[in-house]
Amino acid sequence: MTIWWLILILGSLGAGALAFIWLAARLAKLSSAGHKSAEESLQDAAKEDVEHIFNDEFREELRNRGRLHFEKIIGENAMFLQQDLRLTTSQLNDYMKAEITRKLQEEFNKYEQSIMDAKQLAIDSIQKTNAAIEEQRQTLGQQVKSEIDAEKLQLVKHLEMHMAEIINHYVLAAIGDQIDLSDQLEYILNALETNKQAILEDVRNGS
Amino acid sequence: MDHEHSQVFVLPALIVGPVDIIRLRRELEALDDFLHEAELRPSGGAQSLPKLSRFLDAVANQNGLNLLHSTDRSALMVALERTLKEAPVIHISFSSDPSSAFTAKIIAWFRTNIDPMVLLQIGLQPNIAAGCVVRTANHSYDLSLRKFFDKQKLLLIQKLEGAPSGER
Repeated sequence: MTIWWLILILGSLGAGALAFIWLAARLAKLSSAGHKSAEESLQDAAKEDVEHIFNDEFREELRNRGRLHFEKIIGENAMFLQQDLRLTTSQLNDYMKAEITRKLQEEFNKYEQSIMDAKQLAIDSIQKTNAAIEEQRQTLGQQVKSEIDAEKLQLVKHLEMHMAEIINHYVLAAIGDQIDLSDQLEYILNALETNKQAILEDVRNGS
Repeated sequence: MDHEHSQVFVLPALIVGPVDIIRLRRELEALDDFLHEAELRPSGGAQSLPKLSRFLDAVANQNGLNLLHSTDRSALMVALERTLKEAPVIHISFSSDPSSAFTAKIIAWFRTNIDPMVLLQIGLQPNIAAGCVVRTANHSYDLSLRKFFDKQKLLLIQKLEGAPSGER
């Protein structure tokens, strides 16, 4: 019995709930239809007000204000852009200047280093050449000195060896024309007399 | 040397060298030709005897020859030929050209002391200064002042070496 009662109670509770839900849905449907029409009317009224407020003059005014504001913004931006551009240009110039200076300095340093290396090389070469020349000069000087000494010695020896011949030649040349042949007759006859026997033998044996 | 020939033929001091002998021979030939032509010519023509040189004249006189005789001329020719072939020739040089008197004294010494038929060829060597250079067929005798100085070279060198230190 109890179960039947329970089932009955639950059935009645379910039916009541379904009825409530249906009622509520009906009410909600009705409520939404009325609200929409009011909103539309408000929108229409707003449109009319807008048309009334935002007329052509006001729009022109707004346009002018907007243009001015835009120009102002454009001008400010242009100024900012110009400033930025100047700053950038200046920085770029500074950068380029610094970079070029650095590069040039590096190149100059390299060039200077190359010149210094070449100069050092040339100095080393010149020093070596000078040393070689000096050595050769000393060698040559010694050779020349030894040759001159040898030549001098040879000349002295030659002079000593031929001094008597030179003097003889000088004396003969000096007195050769001064002695008359007739004055020599006695000397010649004495010389012939000294060699008489030898000449006699030669004549006897030779012919 | 042909001693027999040297006893017959005497060379005067005027005749010095082979050139003189050749000149004598040529002159004698010319004389001989002339006299031979004179004999062949018809007589009566005027013929003047050619003048003899003093050399030929001296030779004829010293050897007692009459050159008008053909035999003497022939003998002289033979003597000259033999002298030219057989006489010893000695070359002697002096520092200057000798005079005739000087040459005569020199040739006289040679013919007295060496050989009566000797002939001299006289040359000139100015570089000997004084004295003479005698050259036979196989020897040369330098009797000049130059040779004398050469012989005294050592003495001269000694004197020269001692000169700087004042040695005498």
